[in-house]
Amino acid sequence: MSRMKFYCDDYRCIDCNGCVVACKEAHEIPVGVNRRRVITINEGIEGKQKSLSVACMHCSDAPCQKVCPTDCFYIRTDGIVLHDKDKCIGCGYCLYACPFGAPQFGHEGIFGVKGVMDKCTFCAGGPDETLSESEFEHYGQNRIAEGKIPMCASMCSTKALVAGDAAEVDKIYEYRTAKRGANTSLKPYGWEAYNNGK
Amino acid sequence: MESKTFWECNKAYILTALGLGVVGFVFVGFLMIMDWGYLIQFTLHAMMGDTSGVMSAPTSELEQMVNAAFGPAYNTVAPEIIRASNERQEYIWYVFFAEIMIFVFLYVKNGRITPTITRPDDMVQVLTPFQRTVIWLNIGMIMMLVVTGFNITWSLRSEGGDIPRLLREFHELTGLAWISIWLIFTVIAAKDLKGWRKNTTFRHILPGSFKPSKRGIWFFYAAMGAGLCFSGAMIITLHPSSLTHADVIQFRRVLLYLHFGASVLIMFFILDFVYASAVSVKGYLKGLWSGEYPREYLEQVAPDVLEDLKKAGRV
Repeated sequence: MSRMKFYCDDYRCIDCNGCVVACKEAHEIPVGVNRRRVITINEGIEGKQKSLSVACMHCSDAPCQKVCPTDCFYIRTDGIVLHDKDKCIGCGYCLYACPFGAPQFGHEGIFGVKGVMDKCTFCAGGPDETLSESEFEHYGQNRIAEGKIPMCASMCSTKALVAGDAAEVDKIYEYRTAKRGANTSLKPYGWEAYNNGK
Repeated sequence: MESKTFWECNKAYILTALGLGVVGFVFVGFLMIMDWGYLIQFTLHAMMGDTSGVMSAPTSELEQMVNAAFGPAYNTVAPEIIRASNERQEYIWYVFFAEIMIFVFLYVKNGRITPTITRPDDMVQVLTPFQRTVIWLNIGMIMMLVVTGFNITWSLRSEGGDIPRLLREFHELTGLAWISIWLIFTVIAAKDLKGWRKNTTFRHILPGSFKPSKRGIWFFYAAMGAGLCFSGAMIITLHPSSLTHADVIQFRRVLLYLHFGASVLIMFFILDFVYASAVSVKGYLKGLWSGEYPREYLEQVAPDVLEDLKKAGRV
């Protein structure tokens, strides 16, 4: 059984935020909500700067599903974690339970208080009818149903962000790691890593 | 004057402390999976203004990245939030069952005080319009908060949707509004402040004096209310963006846990207050609305209130 996973290669991510913009544009995500974000440490320090693109990691044993009081989460057979916005009451417990800060809450309720939760769907829509207007309005594009990979990964210029079946993603990771080699003090970074296939 | 032993003077406090101590010991020792060492360290750091949850400088690039991307030390607080959330859904019934059993036991043991009113027209003005307004707002808001709060806890039963979501939003808005009412009620119910009665600031304090059990209830109302108001207000207003998430998530987790704990404790003492004021005593609820109580009711049930009103020259 395949399990869909993301992998972000911190040797390749160059903090361009292309994935963030692609995701927001594709799913028409409102201002204030970011399904994906890029985190950078040691910014500007040569050889030490590292960036990572983060979104819902579609955990196999998802804590958000465990904590949700309305049981609005469900995990598809391919491992993609989705939720039903019609059930969600916006309590925010999933945000506390999530190790990755994936759940997002816009201000849309009465008097602008916190609305229902929004998160990365791995571009797989939601429980509404597949490829329907309602599904797009609630959850954004359903690229998986169209046979495509998530928008963020498809737009990543250095191919730092990889998405797909965990076994395939693992092969890419192993290949890159082996090519980079261990115990080298100056590993390739960003475009250098991309151009060398590392 | 009859001299009382230490036990007689402080029985209510000792029994409350023992009861909470036993429950706390069982909870902390056998049920909770919180990292207490981290929590204590974190609280000290937060009191000094550092709410990031990073206790020491990261020792590896991985740790630095985790701290920056996801927030530090996930395994210290978050698993306990998941456990407590599930526990509230599944087992809070048993807590209420135990509370109700305690009240039933007390009721059976102590019986019910029913004052005899032979002169229903002989009324005494006890509560001012201001006090009544605060009391009723407090009652109304607490009921709203309890209903909307349980709506969140037990939404597995309602299965979510528009109405539970609306109730959850009302919980947040009512909670924000309750902060001022909680503060005002805490002050006017602080009967021990009567020593400063001549000061006009304290003229609105409710008449009467505390018995130890009622003082305990007031203390827990004030303390747990402060916890609820602080944690609730911070949870609502400290709304992290995707880029500030890692800086505040640990603080928010601790605040949510404080909110969980304070809500359970305040509920216990509110129920205790309802039992003490309305169930074990035939409470004169009309007086809460009109502000007037029969003189005989006060003489038999609340002589301290009558005494206080006499001292103030209001009777």
